[in-house]
Amino acid sequence: MFSSIEDVIERFAKNNYIASRRIATVIYLAASLKKPVLVEGPAGVGKTDLAKVLSTSLGLEMIRLQCYEGLDEGKALYEWEYAKQLLYTQILKDKISEVLTGAKGLKEAVDRIAKEDEVFFSERFVLPRPLLKAISSEKQCVLLIDEIDKSDSEFEAFLLELLSDFQISVPELGTLKAKHIPLVILTSNNAREMSDALKRRCLHLYIDFPSREQELEIVKLKVPDAAKKLADEVVTVVQSLRKLDLKKTPGISETLDWVKALTLLNVESLDQELVNETLDTIVKYEGDVRKAQEELKDYVRRVRARRGGTETTGSSDKDLLN
Amino acid sequence: MQEKLVEFAKLLRENGVRVSLAETLDAFSASEITGLSERDSFRAALRATMIKRSSELPVFEELFDVYFSGLGEIIKQASKAVQDALSMSDQEFQKFLDRIEEMLKKEGKNLSELAKQLLQNNSGAMEKKLREAARAARLKGIERTIEENYFARALARELGLDKIEAEIKELREQLEKMDLGTEMKARMEEYLERRLKALEDIIRRYVRMEREKRDIRQREDQKMNQIAEKSFYYLSEDELKKMQEAVQKLALRLKNVISVRRKHSKKGRFDIKKTLRKNMDCGGVPFKLRFEERKKEKPQVVILCDVSDSVRNASRFMLQFVYSLQDLYSRVRSFIFVSEIGEVTEHFRTGDIKDALDVALKGDIINVYAHSNFGYAFRSFVSDHIGAINKRTTVIVLGDARNNYNLPHDWCLREIHQRAKRVIWLNPESRNTWGFGDSEMDKYQLHCDMVEECRNLNQLYRVVDRLVVR
Repeated sequence: MFSSIEDVIERFAKNNYIASRRIATVIYLAASLKKPVLVEGPAGVGKTDLAKVLSTSLGLEMIRLQCYEGLDEGKALYEWEYAKQLLYTQILKDKISEVLTGAKGLKEAVDRIAKEDEVFFSERFVLPRPLLKAISSEKQCVLLIDEIDKSDSEFEAFLLELLSDFQISVPELGTLKAKHIPLVILTSNNAREMSDALKRRCLHLYIDFPSREQELEIVKLKVPDAAKKLADEVVTVVQSLRKLDLKKTPGISETLDWVKALTLLNVESLDQELVNETLDTIVKYEGDVRKAQEELKDYVRRVRARRGGTETTGSSDKDLLN
Repeated sequence: MQEKLVEFAKLLRENGVRVSLAETLDAFSASEITGLSERDSFRAALRATMIKRSSELPVFEELFDVYFSGLGEIIKQASKAVQDALSMSDQEFQKFLDRIEEMLKKEGKNLSELAKQLLQNNSGAMEKKLREAARAARLKGIERTIEENYFARALARELGLDKIEAEIKELREQLEKMDLGTEMKARMEEYLERRLKALEDIIRRYVRMEREKRDIRQREDQKMNQIAEKSFYYLSEDELKKMQEAVQKLALRLKNVISVRRKHSKKGRFDIKKTLRKNMDCGGVPFKLRFEERKKEKPQVVILCDVSDSVRNASRFMLQFVYSLQDLYSRVRSFIFVSEIGEVTEHFRTGDIKDALDVALKGDIINVYAHSNFGYAFRSFVSDHIGAINKRTTVIVLGDARNNYNLPHDWCLREIHQRAKRVIWLNPESRNTWGFGDSEMDKYQLHCDMVEECRNLNQLYRVVDRLVVR
């Protein structure tokens, strides 16, 4: 476990994740109070990564449950392996008839079979899904429930029950209590509002887009061979793009992708033509691309103006962003 | 501390953040873990336990700053001011305080507790005494700026400021007789004087801070209540903007509620095909059952919106609201009219809603400066667009039915009513004016399934709630 909030920050940094004091505090509280954390925020800010980093920095296994509409108990918790049961029944036909020899009448036959109930409804034939795996895990683990806003409210209700007691009743197997309460992280893109009950059960963490300095730090950490000037300019442009009214605002992962792409193409600063071609690493919709191009044009103009216009503008300006 | 947290939770609730008891208890445990010394961690702990919606974050930040930096900060700042006035570094100041303490030990046997704490710069104890005095003076009851003086005096009285003044004066006289260097004496004298002033200052600022807290509490709440109740006609520019945000928020919340309601529709018949397919891995034995999904029909809506001057604001919000709910309907077609009628559906589908509204209400599509003529509008609708209405359509008419004494042509509305699933009329005028003057409401009413007054945001909410559920 973590010894302090600073410990969290340090360990995360060692795993290449820059956690603000706020994030580290919430993680520390979650670990100490054994409460789940609901992480909300726009796409691409590092919510899923947070869970991954948490598991690596504590050396725990991460069990992931990806939510979607229509996700039900069967897929999330456990299922009986009917096929296996049938198969075994077929193979053991002879053995079964042995058990039944000498049974007088149907009732006794059924009774004898019923005595062997536990054979076929045992843990052997249970197909554990992520939630059951997390509960019955021998060591403590990190349970990531990704995109819970995509699931429906029935699933939420069921999850709530699980998160309150960390125990499951399987009718045939009895109640399975968690040996170690897992560290639960739920992520949500805010496509819909979670139920109040679930929110109350969790600690809430809202991760927003980073500030300019934070983003620069992240870029330096994750793409160390990027030219400093390039990183600087990319971050500036993306920060200003976020202020625009885009259909999908670019997140940190988009920034990193762009920097990696440009570095790969040996681009040193944003003044070059390749920029236009790589623009779709950060902006994915037609309308957004147009808006981004406008913004880039503005940006280049401002940079040129700052440089004092010693270079002859004219043709290169036109070529760059048609 | 726990008391403070409970109070803070109450403050949050008064500002529209629903903090439950369980969450407050969580905040207790969390703050115990983070401790109070690291302000950022403490803040993060409270934020994580008490705020569960991202839209509530700004409110939390504002209230936290006001509530938790309060008195302690004020006292600290006052001390710093004194230290600066004496132009001492931190170390010098500390040494100086030590000497004061020595001096007090020798001479200050008769000083009151608060005076000693004041002179020894014991902020923690001072804060405690101030809070007690504030409680006794009922500082929480402060409401307005003009009450500040009254409460300042009350607080001073509870603290026994007069007595402290007298004691410090006495101490200064004793200072003369003491055996210290002239410079030290001068410094001590200055210190005594300044500390006394600082205390008065602290009292005043404390009172002001409490008043500001009260202000914030009431400010936001009142504003929204007022706006929701205010008739669409009377909104100022600022309020219009706020109103737009409110309408958007309302639409979003309604959308969530409706989607949940929809999901709970009954299951359909047993679906053999699906069941067999699902159970292939079990040899066809139907372990898992599958049912047909009952398709819940999304309603179709046609809006006929009067955009004449008299109802301009109301129609703006109505259009905006219905369009925010677009995904709940399979089709929305909108028409605006004053006298002529024109379709604006495409503008809403493709563009930004604000632009669409502007285009619709500006006069590019129809002549918005004509005089209202409902009869003519309905007639044009029936002759040109009656195909838009079928038995699944809900027709919403938004207008004040003031026809300028033109022919009402209510037979057109009857036509529409016969074809549509239902007709709803929303009238931004108060109900008691319906039918008076040139209002043809009484005639049109006969052909509507539902007629409602729709003058402000609250009424709009109630109406649309009923509208969408079916």
